Amino acid sequence: MLLTAAIALSTLALTTQIDTTVTVARGQRLEANAFGGEIHVTMWSRNAVRVQADPTSRTQVVVSTSGSTVSVRTEGRRGPASAVDLAITVPAWMSLDLSGVYTDVKVEGAKGPVTVETVQGEVSVTGGDGIVSLSSVQGSVDLRGARGRIEVHSVNEDVTVSETTGEIRAETINGEVKLAKVDATALDASTVNGDVTYDGPIHDGGRYSLSSHNGDITIAAAPTTNAVVSVSTFSGDFESEFPVTLTNGRKGRRFDFTLGKGGAQIELESFQGTIRLVRPGSTAMKDDHDHDDDD
Amino acid sequence: MSDPWTDRLSEYVDDEMPPGDRQMFALHLRHCAECTATLIELKRVAVRARALTDREPAADLWPGIAARIGATTPSSGVPVIPVRRRAGGRWSFSIPELAAAAIALMAVSGGAVWLLRPAPASLATTPLPVAPSSPATVTPVPAASRPRTAGYDAAVSDLEQVLNEGRGRLDTATVRVLERNLAAIDSAIAEAQRAVAADSANMYLNSHLAATKRRKLELLRQAASLVTAVS
Repeated sequence: MLLTAAIALSTLALTTQIDTTVTVARGQRLEANAFGGEIHVTMWSRNAVRVQADPTSRTQVVVSTSGSTVSVRTEGRRGPASAVDLAITVPAWMSLDLSGVYTDVKVEGAKGPVTVETVQGEVSVTGGDGIVSLSSVQGSVDLRGARGRIEVHSVNEDVTVSETTGEIRAETINGEVKLAKVDATALDASTVNGDVTYDGPIHDGGRYSLSSHNGDITIAAAPTTNAVVSVSTFSGDFESEFPVTLTNGRKGRRFDFTLGKGGAQIELESFQGTIRLVRPGSTAMKDDHDHDDDD
Repeated sequence: MSDPWTDRLSEYVDDEMPPGDRQMFALHLRHCAECTATLIELKRVAVRARALTDREPAADLWPGIAARIGATTPSSGVPVIPVRRRAGGRWSFSIPELAAAAIALMAVSGGAVWLLRPAPASLATTPLPVAPSSPATVTPVPAASRPRTAGYDAAVSDLEQVLNEGRGRLDTATVRVLERNLAAIDSAIAEAQRAVAADSANMYLNSHLAATKRRKLELLRQAASLVTAVS
């Protein structure tokens, strides 16, 4: 009877919800790893990390502190860990390093550097300051409201960046790259099978490279834009909503033209897609978004 | 005769070239495939270099890399050229540095994973496969990509082997995604190669082919790291 009671108590302990809070000091960072499930990070004003989870009996959640790092990870008691949802609350300044395999990652309101790596999972981040690096193999990556040096990467899904400022590198292979309301001082956006769109200011001295193999390129340029634009394609087309004067090259393959005083450098390349130059707010850009919504 | 512009590529990338020279160089780029290809490499290396954080190496990888790319080691008297970081945080490279960096990037991509594979001691002494060199079967390769082809092929081969050997440890859905995307890249590479074959002087096609091949290398490296992670 005692043995039965002990087993029951042990089982209860293994399945009891975890709610742990660890005090942190400014400068400490969070490392969280979950083999499967979701890592959901939200912010609060306290200098503490709160971890809430409801692990199964097969999996435990380990919270530890070592030096400047607070670590949260799931571990299988016997074999691989099962899916566990981690709800983590951190101070907004905290640097985040989040990873998983079958793991969705969601971050809301970060004001420090953010790194996310997952294999089969969606990544959604709002905020982030400094180095923001998001990656998923088989899941979309969505970043909003970040600033700094941005790298967003997927393999098999779309990559979306919005309301973000800084140097941006966005790429996928089989998906679209969508940059809306983005204020990039430097941009490298590329995909193999998909469209690339950029809607945002073009700064004098900035460099903007948009490329695709099997997709269209659409970039919005305000009437006040100063840029040298280089267009390259093999079998695609070029369309512009306003007149441009070619400075050299031959239409249909590779050519340049200058907008305004030519302060920025824009490279638009599509092997066999259409390259479009449009005005901000153009229906061409809206058509893309509407199409996405329909999807 | 050496190209007078090659020593000024860093100046161009760093926006330090006088406007008049910049315009002339832009015109030069339209006709010089070598400068265009090198410039693309330089930009990509610079972008990656900016993203790097200083980190002590876990092990001295150079002997293995040097063996892979057929280079001599510093101990044999070849001077090591340091990369200069400027006060503003930007990176600057001379052409020899760029060439080394480009080769090293590719070699490290494959080489690092290759070195992580089991039984490194035996691999270190394994003779490298050498492609038969018969003039009758040599396919002309654009000048821009010629120096990097061997290293690229070796890195791709190594990484494909890692992926093939480790695919059983990966989730089948992940393997399908990787294979589908590798196939998409291979298709793009084939199309670009056909285009280059038809218009070998086209700078865009050459750079697009190089970029697409680099993308394959990156995906393979990512796949290999997944295999390594679950091993």
